[in-house]
Amino acid sequence: MMARSAFLKAFVYIIMALILMPLLVVVGVSFNPTARFIIVPLEPSLHWYSEFFGRSEYVGSLFLVSLPLACLSAALATTLGTLVAIALVRFNIRGRAYLESIFMIPILFPSILLGAALYLFFARLEMAGTFVTLVIGHTLIGTPFVIRVVTAGLSGINPAIEEAAINLGYNRLQAFFKVVMPMLRSSLVSGAIFAFILSFSDINVSIFLSGPHTNTLPLHIFSDIQWQGDPTIAAASTIQIVVVTSLILLAQRFSRARLVF
Amino acid sequence: MPASLWLIGPYFLALVVFLALPLSNVLQLSFYTYSPITIWTTDLTLQNYHKIFTPYFAKITLRTVRIGALATFFCVLLGYPLAYYFSRCSKRSLSVGMFILVMPLMVSAVVGAFGWIVILGRNGLLNGLLKTLNIDADSSILYTETAVVVALVHFLLPLMVLPLMASMEKISMRLEEAATNLGASPLFIIRRIIIPLSRAGLVSGCLLCFTVAISVVVTSALLGGRSGRMLGNEIYDQVITAYDWPFASSLAIVLVTLIVIALSAALVAARRGNRTKGMRS
Repeated sequence: MMARSAFLKAFVYIIMALILMPLLVVVGVSFNPTARFIIVPLEPSLHWYSEFFGRSEYVGSLFLVSLPLACLSAALATTLGTLVAIALVRFNIRGRAYLESIFMIPILFPSILLGAALYLFFARLEMAGTFVTLVIGHTLIGTPFVIRVVTAGLSGINPAIEEAAINLGYNRLQAFFKVVMPMLRSSLVSGAIFAFILSFSDINVSIFLSGPHTNTLPLHIFSDIQWQGDPTIAAASTIQIVVVTSLILLAQRFSRARLVF
Repeated sequence: MPASLWLIGPYFLALVVFLALPLSNVLQLSFYTYSPITIWTTDLTLQNYHKIFTPYFAKITLRTVRIGALATFFCVLLGYPLAYYFSRCSKRSLSVGMFILVMPLMVSAVVGAFGWIVILGRNGLLNGLLKTLNIDADSSILYTETAVVVALVHFLLPLMVLPLMASMEKISMRLEEAATNLGASPLFIIRRIIIPLSRAGLVSGCLLCFTVAISVVVTSALLGGRSGRMLGNEIYDQVITAYDWPFASSLAIVLVTLIVIALSAALVAARRGNRTKGMRS
């Protein structure tokens, strides 16, 4: 009843528009031909995009840092997270509830503390600012989400199917890879996509862990805004928006699992 | 060795080595003495903690809590109607709404902050709009606490709406219908049915919003200017620019303490909610 009230509906629509506005403003500015931040360009131009692809520091931050980093940490997070999920769902472990909450710590733990703590730790070991440290940080923030998604997916698969496969002659590993894995695919893919997005859009960890040659794209956008750069910032931001939105859409196609924190 | 240990082991080890060890390192550093030459010496001291109580850093800590509380408050204010609507709407509007809602959080706080700079700046969209309405707008809210709160609410909203929705979806529509049939006004239904029964979601939403809000760096650095600096900015500057790692560590411990306080408050609130529910039934 209340849910159908026009007043509530209008409120929701206004808020949705306000949420989209800053992102649309960024997209608008990226197509403007001048060096000013004009929001509705009357003569759209791709000038700032050619500028983006002409600058090696931007291209490098996207193709040599952000994308490989997100792929690698998503792969690692998916592997670690899936192993944990299997143990949590398929094995009777003592203190399971405690373990589960321990495994979720990186979600509640603010990522800037994780970044700062890792930086100070690696600085003491004299290995701060390398690509490896970034991969470690991003794998840590991605894994809990994979555990959530895969645990949910695995709970929906009847263990009897696995047992049947084992009775018919598969060993445990074969039963997992040939029988369970195909059914688990959508959870695995959406878990991996979320881990990818978390790494790709992270700034709190990378602001501490990246060195001079490992600036991620969001980090480069950040420093360019601070130095009062030109609308190339808008073009870079739009590329960030396009990559992330298409991945969210892809994840939505693969699973109806909602991202519940 | 049991198989489950092999499965859990790698992640558990990663948590110990890359989370527990770095944190104990921070705790240890926070008691070391700062030295301009070697960054720290192992002489134990409480000086780093004393420094937090100097007026400048006390002000920053208070401001951090204030900004976090304000952002959480506005998330509750906007989040409740949104969560109610989305827990009662069609599948189609739900998926479109969720998509829009999580976008700012997923795309990166930097991009959202840049959008707000363009909107709130002196020659930005907002001032232009006010000018066409003949309202004189010479100042702007960019580089103030208000701007930080606005940008925070923008990307924290899903962290409030999703837990709220999770608990609102469990409230049966029949309950509302029954109340309406018995003559309850919408306001009464909200106060006596919706809010009490969605308490668990509210508590976890507030906890999430507050913890993320008090630990931002980028949003306050870009939109807060000099007058909007928060603990995160100080930690970053002390680590990267000033190289005063012992003091940075004590600031980080302050942040952890704030989060632990918020967490315990949330646990108490959740438990109290359970007790009253038990008494009623």
